[in-house]
Amino acid sequence: MKHILVIDDSATIRMSVEYALKEIGFPISQAENGRDALEKVNSIKSNGNDIAVCVVDVNMPEMDGITFVKEFRKGDKFTPVIMLTTESEDQKIKEGKDAGASGWLVKPFQPEQLVDVVKKLVR
Amino acid sequence: MIKSKNNEFGKDLYILYPGDHYATQEDCVIGTISASCMVICLYDPIRHIGGMGHFVIPGAMGTEGIYRDEIGSHGITSMEYLMGEIVKLGGDRKKLRAKIFGVANVSGVNSWTDGIKNSIFTFIDEYFRVEHIPIEKEDIGGDRRRKLYFFPRTGKVLRKLLENNQDSSEFIKMEQEYINRVFKEKNTYGKVIVFE
Repeated sequence: MKHILVIDDSATIRMSVEYALKEIGFPISQAENGRDALEKVNSIKSNGNDIAVCVVDVNMPEMDGITFVKEFRKGDKFTPVIMLTTESEDQKIKEGKDAGASGWLVKPFQPEQLVDVVKKLVR
Repeated sequence: MIKSKNNEFGKDLYILYPGDHYATQEDCVIGTISASCMVICLYDPIRHIGGMGHFVIPGAMGTEGIYRDEIGSHGITSMEYLMGEIVKLGGDRKKLRAKIFGVANVSGVNSWTDGIKNSIFTFIDEYFRVEHIPIEKEDIGGDRRRKLYFFPRTGKVLRKLLENNQDSSEFIKMEQEYINRVFKEKNTYGKVIVFE
């Protein structure tokens, strides 16, 4: 079974994203930072499941979102990774794209915006 | 925000206007005058990093929880801007403590309806409870403006209650402009980019 992985150090943002993506129908897992997320990815895959999409914040303690994407891409070239962040500068967006992100949403977001992007990227 | 060197503290003073946020690990002072808006002071007492945000949520919320509410999501995003700066400086979200001021109903100027005022109180209660950030000081409501000085490395706050227009006429005008802008833009969301 495929899981959605929501990675953000803010509990309220993780809850907002989980609430928005419920209608997609995949189980949703949460992680508080990039390092925690890599462990969740390994745990999900070692149980015979897979990741449908990662929704990732940029500024997080321990391992930030851009570093997470670089690490994640070492083992997974194709699963969509959507950055969801307050960062909107072109340079930061380019860093995300170069790291291997699939999309970039700037907070505040409307639930429908996030659902549309996820549906577009998850086939 | 403006920076001033000539002040009673002998440190750099960063004065925030409504809508501003600033975080730092410098030995400085962050000041503002709160009226209708909320002023959130956050600090990490271990790493000596702190920041202040001066903002408002743009309307009355429903009752389903701030993370399900479009008005609430704007407040969460305002907190994220401040929190993001603290995290970038190395602050630990799990160590943060909060001091909260403002949300006054100052007669004749920028007064809130009960619905909006109660929504701001609900936002504060719910946000800090869900994020597990202890509130050390909550000095909100009433009918007086507050002049605030926050020392981000220690979390100390000096607060003085102001008379109606004492010392703050510029802030009253700026706050009204900020509130008008935020309420007008409450249906505006961030950009979406899908990389090819």
